[in-house]
Amino acid sequence: VSSQQFSALTEVLFRFLTEPKEVERFLTQLTDFATMNKISLGPLKNIVKSILLVPNGALKRNLSSEQVRADFIALGLSEEKASYFAEQWKVNSPTLTRLAVGQTLMINQLIDMEWKFGVTAGSSELEKVGSIFLQLKLVVKKGSQLENVYVELTLPQFYSFLHEMERVKTSLESFS
Amino acid sequence: QLVSALHNLTRHVVYRGLTGAEDILRLFPENFHQNLKNLLTKIILENISAWRNEAQASQISLPRLVDMDWRVDIKTSSDGIVRMAVPTCLLQLKIQEDAALCGNNPVVSALTVELSKETLDTMLEGLGRIRDQLSAVANK
Repeated sequence: VSSQQFSALTEVLFRFLTEPKEVERFLTQLTDFATMNKISLGPLKNIVKSILLVPNGALKRNLSSEQVRADFIALGLSEEKASYFAEQWKVNSPTLTRLAVGQTLMINQLIDMEWKFGVTAGSSELEKVGSIFLQLKLVVKKGSQLENVYVELTLPQFYSFLHEMERVKTSLESFS
Repeated sequence: QLVSALHNLTRHVVYRGLTGAEDILRLFPENFHQNLKNLLTKIILENISAWRNEAQASQISLPRLVDMDWRVDIKTSSDGIVRMAVPTCLLQLKIQEDAALCGNNPVVSALTVELSKETLDTMLEGLGRIRDQLSAVANK
């Protein structure tokens, strides 16, 4: 495989890694690459599979680009190609790391929040009321399902909720 | 019959939001015993705000927030990445179901939600907008 073809192939690989949902596009690009370079698709797929193992393992263990390069050379790749791959790795690793972190387990993740507030005008007990209420709708992901939670807050509750959330933000920021 | 009449009287006073003694006195029929009328009015006036507050508290409503708690964790490792340091927030909301439906045994459920920093920022943005809208309404 010439170095030009190798860089084209690396590009295809990294594009797939940064957008793992684009499986179809990845397969199409691989097929194009195979036909363009007169390589048969079967062996190409196998090679790609083994190549992909390296960045995935590297991501898991937070390897530096140096270590990635060493890994590839150990696998038998030429030094030039290994360096090229390691360079691409360095460029792409922040995105890839962020993706991996984003897939970390989250319990009851909050997806969305809607609100409305208004005034209670009257009720069956009190003819004229005029008290303000705030209603929140929280969309929570439980496992693979979304659940809507409706909560009502009084004004004082809202202000202390806001205050607490600002404290959380300060706390989170001090840890990043 | 007496209790029922008293009940109706107090409910009417609370409903209408009557606060003056004359308003309440006016409700009694012409030939009602004077001292009893004054005594009843006095008692009603004393209790009126407590009754109104209770009526408001037990209004039908969506489930209400009764308490909230939070903690911040740092995720250090997972099956996807062996080493990382990602802060995340766990928020616990204690929610009480509609008081009117539960009678004397309110059902309180605890909902624990996890928020990433991005989610928290978006939430704070939304809460800030609510606060601005509230002060705009209050200043009108």
